[in-house]
Amino acid sequence: MTTAQQGTDAFWERVEAQLAETDPGIEIERDGFYSQPEWDVYRMRYTSTGGHRLSAWLSVPHGDGPFPALIRMPDYASVHDIIYTPLRERAVVMNATHRGQRNSDGQVRAGYPGLLTDGIESAAAYTLFGAYADALRAVDVLGRQGIAELSGAVVLTGAGLGASLALAAAARRPAVSAVAADTPMALGHRLALEPGPGYPLAELGDYLRANPGSESAVESLLSVVNPVVTAPAVRCPVLMSAGRFDRSVCPLAFAEELAGALPECDFRVYDGAAEGGGHIHGQVRGAWLAERLGLEVS
Amino acid sequence: MATQQDLETFVTDVTCPDDFDAFWDEVKAELHGIPLDARAEQDPMRSTEGVKVYQVTYRSLGGLEIFAWYAAPAAGDGPFPAILHLPGYKSEPALRRDWGAKGVAVLSVAVRGKLPSSGGFNPGYPGLLTSGVEDRDTYSYKGVIADCVRGVDFLLSRPEIDAERIYCCGSSQGGGLTLITSALRPEIKAGVAGYPFLCCFPESMRMLRSYPYDELSCYQRAYPDRMDRMLDTLRYFDAVNFAPRIKCPMVVGIAMEDEVCPPETSYAAYRLLGGERELWLFPESGHGNAHEYPARERAWLEERIGVTGAQAATS
Repeated sequence: MTTAQQGTDAFWERVEAQLAETDPGIEIERDGFYSQPEWDVYRMRYTSTGGHRLSAWLSVPHGDGPFPALIRMPDYASVHDIIYTPLRERAVVMNATHRGQRNSDGQVRAGYPGLLTDGIESAAAYTLFGAYADALRAVDVLGRQGIAELSGAVVLTGAGLGASLALAAAARRPAVSAVAADTPMALGHRLALEPGPGYPLAELGDYLRANPGSESAVESLLSVVNPVVTAPAVRCPVLMSAGRFDRSVCPLAFAEELAGALPECDFRVYDGAAEGGGHIHGQVRGAWLAERLGLEVS
Repeated sequence: MATQQDLETFVTDVTCPDDFDAFWDEVKAELHGIPLDARAEQDPMRSTEGVKVYQVTYRSLGGLEIFAWYAAPAAGDGPFPAILHLPGYKSEPALRRDWGAKGVAVLSVAVRGKLPSSGGFNPGYPGLLTSGVEDRDTYSYKGVIADCVRGVDFLLSRPEIDAERIYCCGSSQGGGLTLITSALRPEIKAGVAGYPFLCCFPESMRMLRSYPYDELSCYQRAYPDRMDRMLDTLRYFDAVNFAPRIKCPMVVGIAMEDEVCPPETSYAAYRLLGGERELWLFPESGHGNAHEYPARERAWLEERIGVTGAQAATS
C-alpha cells in the first residue's frame, strides 16, 4: 500500500467515524410553490459532521413508486438550486449542498474565491474536507428520507467539485450504481498546484504565492482527496467528460490519469475548456443517465 | 434547436409602458441622491505582479452596500480603459485579472441578493426573479439594475479610469444586464451581451420549464389572480424595452440550443438595438457553453478598446 493510499484511507476512516456518531436529524417539508404538475418538491434539512446543518432540494414524481434516484452533487459555487431535468418526472432527484453553500451556511459561509483555501493551514480546519463528508451524508439520508420508495438504482452526477464529490461518494458507498462526472475538479492532485491556471484552481496558486514555502505542506494535506487515489474503489460505471483546453478545473492530463484509474470509465474529451462538452455532452449524459436509471430514453 | 427562421418569425407580446423612461429617470435621480460611499481595499493575496486586486463596496438604491471585485493594472497611473462585468443569475461575480496586463481595469459586481451583497436583501435562488414582482417599485430587479448602474458611478469615481473608455459585458443574466445598463448609462461605449436573460418574459416562461424563468411559472400557478400585475411589472424590466435606447455598438451572442434563455427572445432584443449591432450565432451550443464564445468576446472587446496585440495576462 502506498503512502498516498494510507493517508487517504485514514482520512476516510475518520470521516466515517464522525458520520457514524452524528445523528442526521432529517427534516423534510413539501414546498407547494416550487412543486410541479408532475412532481412534488421538498426541502430537506439534515446534519453532517461537526454539526453542520445542510439543506437539499428533493423532487418525487407523482404516482406510485418505487423510483430510481439521482443525486446531483454540488459544484463549486454558493448556489445549488433545484435545476430542471425531465428525469424528475420518473426519478427521485436530490440536489444536495455542502457546508458553506447558501442555506447550509449556519457555521461557515463560503467565499468565492476563498473556499478552496479556507482553513488550509491544517486538516482539522480545512473547510472543504467537510464537503466530502457531506457528500456521503447526502447518499445516506436519501435512503432514509421516508417520503419516496426507492427502487435501488442510485445514480450520482456532478460537475467540477460536484464530480469529484460524486466519485468519492461512489468509492465509499456500494449502493451507488453509476456516476456521470463532468470535468472533475483536480483538488488533491499535484497539477492543481501548478502555476498559471484560472479560477477556481488559481486560488491555490494565490495561497502559495502569499505563503512561500508552503507548497509541500499543502500538497500533502490535499492529497487525501486526490480522485486518482480513490478511483480504483469506484466499482460502478462512470461516464466522464473533460475539455481539452481546461486549465481552471480539470486539466486534461489529470482527467486522463483519473479516467485510466477508474475500473469502468467511458471517457469523452471535447474541444472546450471548463465547460467540457457543453450542449453536445449534455445530450450524451442525459441519455446515459436515463439508461442507468432504467428509464426509457425519449 | 431553434432555426434562423424561428428567430426571424418570432414576435413578442411585450409592449413598452408609456412612462418607461420617466420611471427609470426617477430611479436614476434617486440613485443620484445617495452618496456613493465607495471603498476599495487591496487584496494582497489575490494581487499579482501585473494586477492589483481590490475588494470594493459602494452604496446603491435603498442605501444597500454592494460588493464588487476590482482588478486594475499595477503598472502606471492610468488613465485605463475599464470593463464593467455583470454577473449571471446564480453564479459568483468573477474576479477578472486577465485584462490587467493589457492595461484594462475590470469591475465585477455582486448585485444585491448575491454573496457578499446579500446583507440587506436576500430572497434566495430560486426566489430572486419573483421577489416583489407585484409592483415595479418593489421588484427585486429595480435594485439589481440600480446596482449595475451604480457600478459605472464607481468607475467614474476612480482617478485612474478613462471616463471615455468604459465598456460592459456579461453572460446570461449578465447579458441581459449588459443590455439594460448600456441603455441607462450612455458612458458605456460598447458591450457584449452573451445568451441574454431578461428578454421577453411572457414568452420565455411559456417556452421553457427550466429555471430561472420557471420561477415565474410557479408564481403564476400559485397566484393566478396576480398575473396581470406581474406581467405589467415585468414590462419595466424587459431588455427588449431597453434595446432601442442603446446607442453604442453592441454584440448579442445566441446559442441555438439554449435551454435557459430561448434564442428567439434574445434575437428579439438584438433586432431592436438602437445602435451599431453584431450578432453571433452558435448552432450546436447550449446556454453559456459555446466553446468559442470567450475568445470571441475577448477579441471583440480588445479591438474596441484598442489593446489588440498586447500580451495576455496570466491569471
